Amino acid sequence: MKGLSVGEKLFIEGGIAQDLRTDGRRRLTYRPISVETDVISQANGSARVRMGGTEVIATVKAELGRPNAMQPDKGKVSIFVDCSPTAEPTFEGRGGEELATELSVSLERCLLGGKSGAGAGIDLSSLIVVEGKLCWDLYIEGLVVSSDGNLLDALGAAIKAALSNTGIPKVNVSAEASANEQPEVDVSDEEFLQFDTSGVPVIVTLTKVGRHYIVDATLEEESQMSSAISISVNRHCHVCGLTKRGGAGVDPSVILDMISVGKHVSEQLLNKLDSEIAAAEADEEE
Amino acid sequence: MAKKATPATSTYSPSPTTHKTRPPIFRSDDVDWVRPDGRAFHQCRPAFFRTGAVNAASGSAYAEFGNTKVIVSVFGPRESKKAMMYSDIGRLNCSVSYTTFSTPVRGQGSENKEFSSMLHKALEGAIILETFPKTTVDVFALVLESGGSDLPVVISCASLALADAGIMLYDLVASVSVSCFGKNLLIDPALEEENYQDGSLMITCMPSRYEVTQLTITGEWSTAKINEGMQLCLDASCKLVTIMRSCLKESAATVSEE
Amino acid sequence: MEFVSPEGLRLDGRRPMEMRQIRAEIGAVSKADGSALFEMGNTKVLAAVYGPREVQNRSQQMSNQALVRCEYTMANFSTGDRMRKPKGDRRSTEISLVIRQTMEECILTHLMPRSQIDIFVQVLQADGGTRSACINAATLALADAGIPMRDIVTSCSAGYLNSTPLLDLNYVEDSAGGPDVTVGFLPKLDKVTLLQMDSKLPVDIFENVMQLAIEGCKAVANYIREVMLESTKKLEYCRGA
Repeated sequence: MKGLSVGEKLFIEGGIAQDLRTDGRRRLTYRPISVETDVISQANGSARVRMGGTEVIATVKAELGRPNAMQPDKGKVSIFVDCSPTAEPTFEGRGGEELATELSVSLERCLLGGKSGAGAGIDLSSLIVVEGKLCWDLYIEGLVVSSDGNLLDALGAAIKAALSNTGIPKVNVSAEASANEQPEVDVSDEEFLQFDTSGVPVIVTLTKVGRHYIVDATLEEESQMSSAISISVNRHCHVCGLTKRGGAGVDPSVILDMISVGKHVSEQLLNKLDSEIAAAEADEEE
Repeated sequence: MAKKATPATSTYSPSPTTHKTRPPIFRSDDVDWVRPDGRAFHQCRPAFFRTGAVNAASGSAYAEFGNTKVIVSVFGPRESKKAMMYSDIGRLNCSVSYTTFSTPVRGQGSENKEFSSMLHKALEGAIILETFPKTTVDVFALVLESGGSDLPVVISCASLALADAGIMLYDLVASVSVSCFGKNLLIDPALEEENYQDGSLMITCMPSRYEVTQLTITGEWSTAKINEGMQLCLDASCKLVTIMRSCLKESAATVSEE
Repeated sequence: MEFVSPEGLRLDGRRPMEMRQIRAEIGAVSKADGSALFEMGNTKVLAAVYGPREVQNRSQQMSNQALVRCEYTMANFSTGDRMRKPKGDRRSTEISLVIRQTMEECILTHLMPRSQIDIFVQVLQADGGTRSACINAATLALADAGIPMRDIVTSCSAGYLNSTPLLDLNYVEDSAGGPDVTVGFLPKLDKVTLLQMDSKLPVDIFENVMQLAIEGCKAVANYIREVMLESTKKLEYCRGA
């Protein structure tokens, strides 16, 4: 981040205090979101999401694997994020790794739920093919192409869009194998199963600048933050994960207030995103 | 995609034979179950702290919560690396690693990047970085034995080590986590409980200032449950910090006697 | 394996001397000083240029010319099979070097002493010919950043399979192990700046194949010029001239 002058800092902070940000938005207004699906043909599902100057791509690849011994009735999902140096020169070489790990961990926390698999946004039991023997492993990869703040929300939205774009090949288990053998399977390359994404939460990041909090902060606004809280909220208005960023301490009551504001905002974002995803998929079919 | 359809039989993956069955005690509809170590739901494990575990470090601390054993050493403030740019506030560098024998399955003993960045975020709000410009404080945490709630123990222990090193802090940082099983909340979960939890909530706070420096939630939570969990953690961390404080006082008393 | 059918068609239905569909888009990364997206069939590459700006590492600063740096990265999802490669493996280091040398040659570096230009290329989809696509994308991004250049560099590859010279190899043809000639070309100066070949080829056939690649470069150059002209017109229109 390039250094900001004292005047610029004051301008950003003052604008937020008066509910009129530098780009004309209000505190709880998102930048226009545009969604494009099926952008990477090699993947089972993919999407590109743009939020102002922020652009991310998410892809989903499905591979057959063995379920975990602890959870024989569930498939596996892993999330990796990469920060391309095209987004910011400091991501060159290993420079983006730290941010990439932070984003991956936050996304896993927000989307995959607890250890027992409860509360996961992605229904893991739908990924099972033969219980205890064969399941789909979903590899979700995010790539930050251009960064202008609020990467986590954009990645969350892109993953949601990519998942709804994902077609998982239909598998026919040909013969019932004995207990120790791997069953023989036949993967159809014509029939695909659509993935149910109604339970996938959206992520809302509230950035605290001064005494106020804003959504969808730009890079300049993020540089002025004291702390930020990312909340993932699903359709039932339940919190599915929460991550705090920034070192400054916050009063517990402020956090609870931020959670309730985040829930309120998430509802609008969820509806907006759903209609954008539907529009993108309709576009693609034409 | 269809080409890769053959089941992955060629790779050999050793599946651990232990823990294969779910322990029946973790059923959400059963209210009367007891925790494996016989604690009540809202009872923490006994905490033990000792400062000055590593002689070579400027400050260090050892913490033991049940089976979780952690050692943290603090070096510095010392000169930042030459390549770093000038900074008018101090830098904090955190690293959390596990010993190869800390987990039931022999591990790699490598640095845990996720915990390192979490430790950094939990501590940076508590340290008065302005007091040591141009220099770096290194915090190295080593988990000797992992027995559940590793990160909260590491964080609490690290703040004690920082205090032992004489680094200016706004307040001691205490950290507590709760696990969620169905409707029940379990404070300070042990390893086997963590493996079956439906969700978890971890709070890092400075009790005297009543400020939260770090908060993470996984799994699905309603607002009421978040409230309950946060309150539980905050109360526990207030108690934890008194134990930490008495440990500091004790070590200060022995030093003055000598 | 048969790469050219008796009817003279390739695996993807192209004629031997036919290029894949190319598409370019200027200004794909809004935060960068210059950026472009370049597609050759299924190969999709994004390039971003930052600079000219202050040199980050003082010891690399040159008092008589600009420092040009380049990094080539492949997205994890860019290839058919999913894998996580460590950054800076030998292949990407080599391609970074090739792109850097090619671009440095055509940038008028002496006009910008004591400064640094960063070129970052990110492969989104790899289906053969990434090297060429990267160079084409980098040219467009540099032009978008307004960096003075001698000429635009364009690149195209050609191969020789089933005793037929083939233009613009895709991944399947590329991995067949036959000769693969990549040419970087300055169309206005009519000069070759980059020439690479794998495997072996008789000299007289090599000349044919190289000529074919050069023809490909010229075609790319025509398209790139059109795209640049269009984007300049758009800028002019935005300014209200």
